[in-house]
Amino acid sequence: MTAIGKTPPLLEVEELNVTFPTPQGAVDVVRDLGFTLEPGGSLGIVGESGSGKSMTSLAIMGLLPPRATMSGRVRLAGRELSGLTDRQLRRVRGDRIAMVFQDPLSSLNPYYTVGTQIEEAYRAHRQRVTRRQARRVAVEAMERVHIADAARRVDHYPHQFSGGMRQRVMIAMALCTEPDLLIADEPTTALDVTVQAQILRLLTEVRQETGAGLLLITHDLAVVSEMTEEVLVMRAGACVERASAERLFSDPRHPYTRALLDAVPRLDDEVGELRTVHGRGPSPAAGATEGDER
Amino acid sequence: MARFLIARLSGVVLILLLVCLFTFGVFFVLSPDPAVQICGKNCTPELIERIRTNLGLDEPLLAQFFSFLGGLFAGRTYGVGESATHCAAPCLGYSFQSSQPVWDMIMDRLPVTATLAVGAAVLWLLAGVAGGLLGALREGTWWDRGAMVVALSGISVPNYVFALVLQYVLVVELEWLPFPGTVTFAEDPGGWFQNYLMPWIVLAFAYASVYARLTRANVIDTLSENYVRTARAKGLPRHQVIRRHALRPALTPIATVFGMDFAGLLGGALITETVFGLNGVGKMTADSISRNDQPVIMGVTLLAAFFVVVGNVVIDLLYTALDPRVRVNSA
Repeated sequence: MTAIGKTPPLLEVEELNVTFPTPQGAVDVVRDLGFTLEPGGSLGIVGESGSGKSMTSLAIMGLLPPRATMSGRVRLAGRELSGLTDRQLRRVRGDRIAMVFQDPLSSLNPYYTVGTQIEEAYRAHRQRVTRRQARRVAVEAMERVHIADAARRVDHYPHQFSGGMRQRVMIAMALCTEPDLLIADEPTTALDVTVQAQILRLLTEVRQETGAGLLLITHDLAVVSEMTEEVLVMRAGACVERASAERLFSDPRHPYTRALLDAVPRLDDEVGELRTVHGRGPSPAAGATEGDER
Repeated sequence: MARFLIARLSGVVLILLLVCLFTFGVFFVLSPDPAVQICGKNCTPELIERIRTNLGLDEPLLAQFFSFLGGLFAGRTYGVGESATHCAAPCLGYSFQSSQPVWDMIMDRLPVTATLAVGAAVLWLLAGVAGGLLGALREGTWWDRGAMVVALSGISVPNYVFALVLQYVLVVELEWLPFPGTVTFAEDPGGWFQNYLMPWIVLAFAYASVYARLTRANVIDTLSENYVRTARAKGLPRHQVIRRHALRPALTPIATVFGMDFAGLLGGALITETVFGLNGVGKMTADSISRNDQPVIMGVTLLAAFFVVVGNVVIDLLYTALDPRVRVNSA
């Protein structure tokens, strides 16, 4: 930001470890994960269920379940987040980093209008905002995500929206504070295929407008290939391969990445059956390299 | 909305009619002949016969039922000629024991029961929700365990035992409270309050225990909801996350239970009123049962049913305000 030196990366994650205690002993769900994201850049994290990708996003936000322990460093624009108190982290959450979750129906509170919930996000980070100002921000945010008739819809409850519209509300809620980083955790998984494309297009559009960085977590390889410049493949809590999206699809280096790409069904496929990644993906409790026999 | 109301209210009338029929059946068919009881010691067959005619007990059963219903809505006249007495509109008959109109007896005692119920309800809501919230927010700690042990004892210790222990400790040993007496609010507000304090605590304890467990379970459930995670991800302060996003959804189902419990209590708290000698509907019911005073028992049963059924409708209406998802779409 200053003339002296380089602008620090938007997000730096170093040696991130997340551990859950279980009756069988501690289980590492994320191990030694590290990556950086430049301002305005985009990174996709792909992996199977249980590979630790959602835990990574929750660890960055400081929203891990209380039982989990975390070590390592998370820096946002050069500022260390991992040592902050919950109160200090609260100022970062929703303001500098905003999150869009998987299931917009259960992620919105059914007891409040969508307007109230967007206003809450805004007022949590802006001092001396009147209700009326916050409401105007909510309507504007809804207009930005192309919800028709936003001035009226702002007073509706989540159950009165369709799935795609609810996800638009979630995105409006995330962008109303103009965050530097948007974390989208499986943002289209709960949606219809046709709606998925619209939401992805919207995310791209929002990024272009606001210049926010994007951390996209998904199991869908097609989504990352379109949405992000870089891709990180995770398995059993660890990074298996990290490459530009282009290279990853043209020249996957790691056998697991290749297996993952092969498992995507194609129309011109000559094999009649769906291919699977061999094995069920090692349990986080087992060693990281087990089950790689293929 | 109007259609919903009409449907609910006609349901209320139907249920109350069925309760009438049922209580009438139970008390007048299965119990011993009331005329013999009223007649007392120096009884002659002629006297019994006269009582039967006066009370209408010689009529066919269905006719008796309809004159009972008629008495409820239009009042009725017992006996004929000079001995005739008119019982005005909500007529529930006369007590076999005291010959007073049952309606008046109930109305005399309802304020005591209502005072008991309202005071206890305030206490148990505060204590129950606070205890449950403490348990949920400090889940697994000694706070949680402590609160739940107290709650468990509240459920398992019979409230007459608790009442006696409390009386012994507060009145006899510590002398913090005077012996229970009959003091009206107008005479001595302080004494009135002291008089009701123990009954309130005793009655509230058992309910508070149930509410604490219910609140704890509901709050723990809602805290794991995705929308609570969203609220935290938005950067809301912890107290707002808890109050607005966890407590509000967790307490909504408790409103339903509360409506039922409170309405049920208006029909009389038998044990608490009896133990503390409070002259409310509950004590009257207990006395009437021991003396087989059928019209009173029946009147109280009807009243209790009325409160529960009406309470239910009120809760249903309230629920549409509390939970936007069940709101009848009018727009």
